[in-house]
Amino acid sequence: MIYRETGHFVTNYLKDREIFPLKFDKIIVILGLLFLYLYMPTTSEYMLSAHVIPILAVGLATVGLNILTGLTGQLSLGTAGFMCVGAFGTYNLMLRMPENLMSLPVALLLSGIFAGLVGVIFGLPAIRIKGFYLLVSTLAAQYFVWWFFNSYAWFLNYESSGVVAIAPHMYDYWGLGNLLGVDMQGYPARYLLALTICIGLTYFAKNLLRSNTGRNFMSVRDRDIAASVMGISVPRTKLLAFFVSCFYCGIAGGIYSFLYIGNVDLMIYEIDRSFTILFMLIIGGLGSISGSWLGAIFVYEFPILFTWVGDTIFQGAFNTAVVENVSNMVYGVFIIALLIREPGGFAALWATTKQKLRMWPYPH
Amino acid sequence: MTDILKVENVTLQFGGVKAITDISFNVKEGEICAVIGPNGAGKSSMLNVINGVYLPQIGTVTYNGVERRSINPRDAAIAGMARTFQNIALFQGMTVLENIMTGRNLFMKSTWLEQGLNIGRARKEEQQNRLAVEKVIKFLQIESIRKTPVSKLPYGLQKRVELGRALVAEPKILLLDEPMAGMNLEEKADMSCFILEINKEQGITTVMIEHDMGVVMDISDHVVVLDYGKKIGDGSPKEVMANQDVIDAYLGVSH
Repeated sequence: MIYRETGHFVTNYLKDREIFPLKFDKIIVILGLLFLYLYMPTTSEYMLSAHVIPILAVGLATVGLNILTGLTGQLSLGTAGFMCVGAFGTYNLMLRMPENLMSLPVALLLSGIFAGLVGVIFGLPAIRIKGFYLLVSTLAAQYFVWWFFNSYAWFLNYESSGVVAIAPHMYDYWGLGNLLGVDMQGYPARYLLALTICIGLTYFAKNLLRSNTGRNFMSVRDRDIAASVMGISVPRTKLLAFFVSCFYCGIAGGIYSFLYIGNVDLMIYEIDRSFTILFMLIIGGLGSISGSWLGAIFVYEFPILFTWVGDTIFQGAFNTAVVENVSNMVYGVFIIALLIREPGGFAALWATTKQKLRMWPYPH
Repeated sequence: MTDILKVENVTLQFGGVKAITDISFNVKEGEICAVIGPNGAGKSSMLNVINGVYLPQIGTVTYNGVERRSINPRDAAIAGMARTFQNIALFQGMTVLENIMTGRNLFMKSTWLEQGLNIGRARKEEQQNRLAVEKVIKFLQIESIRKTPVSKLPYGLQKRVELGRALVAEPKILLLDEPMAGMNLEEKADMSCFILEINKEQGITTVMIEHDMGVVMDISDHVVVLDYGKKIGDGSPKEVMANQDVIDAYLGVSH
């Protein structure tokens, strides 16, 4: 066997804290990065535009929600609302700031910070309330944000259709297109930007998780009184979780609108999307960063796979309504089954499988 | 020796129920003070008043020479108070190591941005504090369960981990709420050893609530007895044992 954990001894605390302690894991990660950066952009435009980029966008939002719900234990249904702030923020920054000042990556970052601040405002009730009551207050955030952008046409540059297309020049940041001779509006370029942001932010989230901030988040989730007795400021920790989470959601919204669909459309950020992202989180596994990505891939790809099966095996027997309903049923079944059998979601299933394989072929 | 903690005329009410009525006692620096009493005597409430979880209606708590009626639990922690809880308040979703590391949170000065990027100060701090945590893990002999999720541990070990989490914060005063409840004889002996060692070797003042009279009489320097929210005895273990009110409270008295 090439892959084995035996013979791996850590000799200092730095090594004990590594994300990928095993040599083989490191090789896999490097190969995976090479695959994502070198091979993926050369695949078909359909692959990138219909599969990879949207998964990157919703997966990032799931990671964001995970920081708030999975790590800090604050339920939220405002995810799509915060994505919406990110998307509209990015658009308005690109539209209204002087062209030579603003570039897409910077606009995404700034609107992420802006979404984070909006999240902190709607997170204020979390200082006093928790559980389902907080869920209702984040639901208010979802509806308020939606209503706000729907009511003030200024944000959509007075576009009467409610959908505003993104001008091609907005994609051309830092003159990279001319410099490298690449079409920056093309999907490979969009994909590479989205991928870089997602890898960076996933690494950031993983670092938070294994550091003091992450432990503070989890201590507030598990026992807030014990946390405060140990000197952790519970209100500050909750608000920080809201900020970081909504920062992620905001950037995810920007990626969704700019890099995936290429227009800013309010309809995308309705409450259904908040629920879909919550499904991704639960199916993937609360509190696990890799689980968030697994959940996002599963929930996003399932309808596509189902349609493909219908088209190839059953000669297109399933229309879109059937696909949608069956998908919702499958998510429901998965959530119920996982909550009963494995509340840790796909991430915990993966860990159990690994543990079983370690013992294989002996049961104990 | 000076008094590190002075409780003066504290009264705590929940609506019409008086949990604590006009209680005063002092804790000397470096001693083990046991708070005993039958169920519902107000012992846990007393600890909660001392470290700020409850706000008393009347009375003051003087800690380290600062007199105040109430203190925020976070400020109490910063001032060097650490505690354990009666029904274990560990962070169930985290491993032993993570739980004890949480006890070091006041020593972490790096910001969340530094920690997220894993640069400079954050990296160094994580290592330095890990060293302190490992010392406590070694002291409590829980090396082998370092990476085990706390929820999978038996009760006795969970109590030990909770003691470790309080201890790693390098407190001046340690408040233990029934550290030996539900333990068998060997576990009690181990726990007594740890408490004595913490007190004698590290000089940490300890206030503990305990029901096992054998342990209380053996290891404490000073015993405070509560009954129905009132103080009925205060003194050395010997004095308290001879106190008629205490005997009545524990054994009952004919009317």
